[in-house]
Amino acid sequence: MDVIANQLFAGLSMASILLMIALGLAIIYGAMGVINLAHGEFVMLGAYATWALQTYAGIGILPALPLVFISVAAVGWIVEKVVVQNLYHRPLDTILATWGIGIILQQAVRLGVGAESRFVKGPALLSGNTEIGPLIMSNYRLFVIVFSMAVLAATWVLMTRTEFGMKLRAVIQNRAISECYGIEAKRVYSITFAYGAGLAGIAGALITPLFSTIPTMGTGLVVDAFLVVIVGGLGSLIGSAAASVLIGEATAIFSIVINDTLGRIAVLAGIILLIRFRPRGLFPTETRR
Amino acid sequence: MKRRDFLGSLGAVGTAGMLSTPALLSSAGRAFAQGNDIPVGLLFSLTGAVAVVESTLHDAALMAIEEINASGGIHGRQLRPIIEDPASDPATYADRARRLMIRDKCVSVFGSYTSASRQAVLPVTEQRNNLYWYPTLYEGRECSRNVMYGGAVPNQQQDDLIPWAIENFGPRFYMIGNNYVYPKEENNYCKTLLKQYGGEVVNEEYVPLGHSDFSSVINRIRSEKPDVIFATVVGDSDVAFARQYHAAELDPSKMPVVSLTRSEVEVKAIGGEAAAGHFSSAPYFMGHATAENEKFVEAYKSRYGADQVTHFVSEAAYFQVYQFKAALEKLDPANITPETIRDAAVGLTLNAPQGEVLIDENLHTHLWPKIGQWQTNGQAEVLIESKERVAPKPYAAYPGQSCTGQGLVKA
Amino acid sequence: MSSKFQYDLVALVIFALVVAFGVPAVMNYDGFELNTFARYLALAIVSMALSLSWGTAGLLNLGQAATFGMGSYAMAMHLKLRASDGLPDFMGWNNVETLPWLWVPFESLTFTLLAGLLVPAFIGGLIAIFMFRARIAGVFVAIITLAFLVAFQLLFINQQGLTGGQNGLTGLAQMSLFGWTVDPYSMGFYNLVAGCLVVALAFGVYLTHSKFGLILRAIREDADRARFFGYNVASYQTLVFCISAALAGWAGMLYTLVLEFASPTYMSVSFSLAIVIWCAVGGRESVIAAAFGAIVVNMLEGRLSDVFVEGWHLILGVIFVLVVMFMPRGIYGLLSDSVRKIRRIRRTRDQRGVETFPNT
Repeated sequence: MDVIANQLFAGLSMASILLMIALGLAIIYGAMGVINLAHGEFVMLGAYATWALQTYAGIGILPALPLVFISVAAVGWIVEKVVVQNLYHRPLDTILATWGIGIILQQAVRLGVGAESRFVKGPALLSGNTEIGPLIMSNYRLFVIVFSMAVLAATWVLMTRTEFGMKLRAVIQNRAISECYGIEAKRVYSITFAYGAGLAGIAGALITPLFSTIPTMGTGLVVDAFLVVIVGGLGSLIGSAAASVLIGEATAIFSIVINDTLGRIAVLAGIILLIRFRPRGLFPTETRR
Repeated sequence: MKRRDFLGSLGAVGTAGMLSTPALLSSAGRAFAQGNDIPVGLLFSLTGAVAVVESTLHDAALMAIEEINASGGIHGRQLRPIIEDPASDPATYADRARRLMIRDKCVSVFGSYTSASRQAVLPVTEQRNNLYWYPTLYEGRECSRNVMYGGAVPNQQQDDLIPWAIENFGPRFYMIGNNYVYPKEENNYCKTLLKQYGGEVVNEEYVPLGHSDFSSVINRIRSEKPDVIFATVVGDSDVAFARQYHAAELDPSKMPVVSLTRSEVEVKAIGGEAAAGHFSSAPYFMGHATAENEKFVEAYKSRYGADQVTHFVSEAAYFQVYQFKAALEKLDPANITPETIRDAAVGLTLNAPQGEVLIDENLHTHLWPKIGQWQTNGQAEVLIESKERVAPKPYAAYPGQSCTGQGLVKA
Repeated sequence: MSSKFQYDLVALVIFALVVAFGVPAVMNYDGFELNTFARYLALAIVSMALSLSWGTAGLLNLGQAATFGMGSYAMAMHLKLRASDGLPDFMGWNNVETLPWLWVPFESLTFTLLAGLLVPAFIGGLIAIFMFRARIAGVFVAIITLAFLVAFQLLFINQQGLTGGQNGLTGLAQMSLFGWTVDPYSMGFYNLVAGCLVVALAFGVYLTHSKFGLILRAIREDADRARFFGYNVASYQTLVFCISAALAGWAGMLYTLVLEFASPTYMSVSFSLAIVIWCAVGGRESVIAAAFGAIVVNMLEGRLSDVFVEGWHLILGVIFVLVVMFMPRGIYGLLSDSVRKIRRIRRTRDQRGVETFPNT
C-alpha cells in the first residue's frame, strides 16, 4: 500500500514535468498547427540559461525563472520570425524545418558551451522531504507540481480572459475574417510562439536539479510531450493536463507492476490505441486543420 | 584483379587521382606509414549523447599525441592525428572507422566509449587486421586480437569491491543498471562473487539508456531497504539517478551507491554535495598521488581549463597513446604495421598516472584497482588500494574459458 | 504513355548508367569508396520507399526505420547463424540455452531473403489496417507510426537474449549467394546494391505511373472524393504501406551487408527523421528524386564531416532549414519548375515567331 501511494506521487511528479513541457507545445500546435520538433531544444536552452545565470551571475533557479522565460521566449520569437512564419501554409514541412532548427540550437550550444554535462544547484529552500504517514514526498517535486498547475491556470486566464487571448482565439477560428477586424494575425502568432517557447524554457529550468543538463537533453523529451498533446486533444489546455496525468500515472503504475522498460512500451501501446479510437483526443476543441 | 587494375588506372587518368591504389582490395604485403609522419586515427564522438564523456577522451588522447610530437616524435617522425566525429551513432562509427583504417591508412585507431560502438568498429578492424585502442572499462567476454583493451574488466573492478562492501555495509545488494550488455555482465559476475561471500540480490533492475526519471526506482529502493546499491548506470542516466537519490534524502552512510561507472566527469555534473559519501571502484582517481598523475592533471588543466577533470577512462585514453609510442620505439621504422605494433606492445610496462601498467598477452591491461569515496569537493578519497597489480580476466565469470595470446581457449 | 512517364524513364536510365558505370569510374574502383557509396545506395532505397507512401499517397510514415530495421536484422540473423557453430555467442551471455524458435528458420538463406521482405510488409500492413480502417489521416499517421517506432525499438532492445540488445548483432559471416561470397568491398557487391536500387526504382516508377499510383494521388488530394467514386481507400493505403515497408526491409538487408552489423539505432527516431529529410531534399513526389536526395545528403554529410570536424552537424542543420524554406518540393521541384519555365519561354518565343513570320 505504501508503495502504491508513493508511486502515485511519483506519477504525479512525472505528470507535472510532462505538463510543463507539453503546455508550450500544445499552445503552439493548437494555435498554429505547427509541429515544433525544436521544442525539446527550447527546454534545453532553458536549462542552459539557468546554468549560465547561476554560474556567472549567482542567481538561483527560482529568481532566474522570469529571466529564463524572457530569454528563451526571445529565441522563440526570432525562430518564428525567421523561419516558422514562412511555413504556416505547409504544416507538415514545419516538422522538417523545426527539426533542423533543433539541430542548429543543439550544435550551437555544444560549440559555445561544450558537450559536457553541466551542474545546476537546486534551491536550498526546497530541499528535504515532506512526510505524511508512509507517503514521502520530495519538496522540490511538490513545488514543481504546484508550479505547473499555476502555470496552467495562468495560461488559461491568458487565453480566455485577456484581450490577447480573445485575438488569438479569433485568429484560430478564422484568420482572414479576424484580420478584417484589424487583428494582426502575424503578430499574434509571433507572440504565441514566443510564449510557448518561454514555457519550454521554464520547464528546462525546473528540471535541471533533477536531470542532467547536456546539449542533447531535449531530444528525448519532445516525443513524450508530443504524445501528451495529441492524446489531450489539439490545443486543449485541460486535455493536455489530463493527458499528462494519465500518462504519468500509467507510467508509474506499470513501472511497479511490470518494470520501467515494459511499462513504457505498455503506455505507448495505450497511446496508440487511444489515438486510433479517439483521434481528436480526450478533450477535442475546434481548431483549424 | 588484373582487369580491375586496368580499369582503375584508366579511371585515375580521368579523375584528379585523389584516391589511389586498388591494392587496398588485397591486404597482402602492404606497408603502412610510408610517408614521413605516422597517421593515427582518433574516433571519439564530439557530438550526440555520448559526447559528454567521449569529448574528454578525445582531449586526453590528443594531448598525449601532441606531447609526443613536441618532444620529437617517434624515431624522429611526428604522429599525425586524423580526427573523425562519429556522432554517437554506431553506423557512423563503422563508416568513420573504415575511412581511418582503409582510406587514411592509419596504423592504429584510438576510440570510443560504449560497447555498441566498439562492436560496430570490430568488423572492419578485424577484417583489415588493424589495431583499435579502446580505453574504456567494459564487460569482458571478448578476446579480439585486434583490440588493445586499456580499461578494467569485471574482475579488476569487483574482486576487491564486493567483499569489502559486504563487510562494511551488509550482504543485501540492489542492482540497478542500464539495459544493455555491460551492466548485465557486471551483474553476472557480481552474482558469482556474492554467492562466494554470502551476499544476496534483493532486486535486479534495468532501465533504458538515457532514462531520466528514477522516482519509481527510488520508491522501490525505499521499500526494499537494501544494504548496498550496486550501480552500473551510465552517463546522464547516472547523473539523474544520483541527483534524485540525493533529493529523496536517502542516506549514503546506510545505503551507499557503489558504482562501477561513476567518475569525476559524472560527479562534476551531479554536484559534489549529492555525490558525497557514495563509492566508486576504478583503477584511477584524479587525486591519486603519483608524479606521473600530477604531471598529467596539470598538463590537462593548463590545456583545457582549470575546471576540467581527468577520470579513469580519460587516463587510459592518455596512457594508451604512450603505450603505442613505446611499442613503436621497439620496432624497425621500416616495418610499422598494426600487427607488428600489437606484437611489440605485448609485455610492455609503462608508468601510467595510476601506477605501472602492463599489457597482457591477451591484449588487456594489468591495472591497479582502487575504491574511492566521493567528497563534497567532487574528488574521491581513495580508501582501499590494491596491494598488487591485478591481471585482466575477461572470462572470469565463465569457468573453462580464458582469453590468451592465442585468442579464446575453451577447456 | 504520358510525357511525364517518358521523362521519368529517361531519368531512370541516366540514373542507372551513372550509378552503374559513372560512379565506379570516378571512384577509381577503390574498394573503400565503393563500399561507402554502396551504403548511400542502400539508404537511397529506403528513401525511395518513403516517397511512395509520403509523396504519392500523402501518408507520412515516421516509423519507416522500424521496417528498415526488420530487414536489417533478418539478414544479420542469418549471417550470425552462419558465423557461429551452434548458439550465437551473445545468447550465451544472456543465459539462453537453446536456439529460440524464432531464429531456427533463418538458417536458410531463401527464408531469410523472403522474411526480409515479407515480415516488414506484414507488420507494416497490420499497422496500416489498424490506422486506415479508422480513416486516420494527416499528422495522426505520423504520430501513430512514431509511437509505434519508439515502442518497437524499446521492445527490441529489451529482448536482449533474442536480439543482442543495444549492441545489436555483430561478428557476422559474409553472405554467400550461389557459391559467391559477398565481399562488401568488391565491385561485384557494389553492382548488386546498385542493381537492387535500379530495380526498386523501376518498380517505383512503374507503380507511380500506373492506375494504382493515380488512385493513390487522388486519395492524397481528397480521400473522401475518392471514396465517393467507389474506391476502397483503406485497402489502397494499406497496400502502398506494405510495398513501402517491403522495400524498406530490402534496403535494410543490403545495409547489413554493407556495414557488416545490425544495430538497434537503425530503428531510432532520429534515423527515421533522417529518411524523411532525404526524401524531402530530393523531392518526395518522384521516387528517383527521393533516391537522389538520400545519396546527395549522405555524400554531403560525408564530405562536410571530413572538412569541418567540429561544425558539420550545425552546417547540416542550416542546410535542412534552408531547403525546407526555399525548396519546398526539393531538388525535383526546383528542376521541374525550371523545366516548365524554360518551356513557357520557348513557347512564347515560338508564338512570337509565328506571328512575325507572315509579315516578312
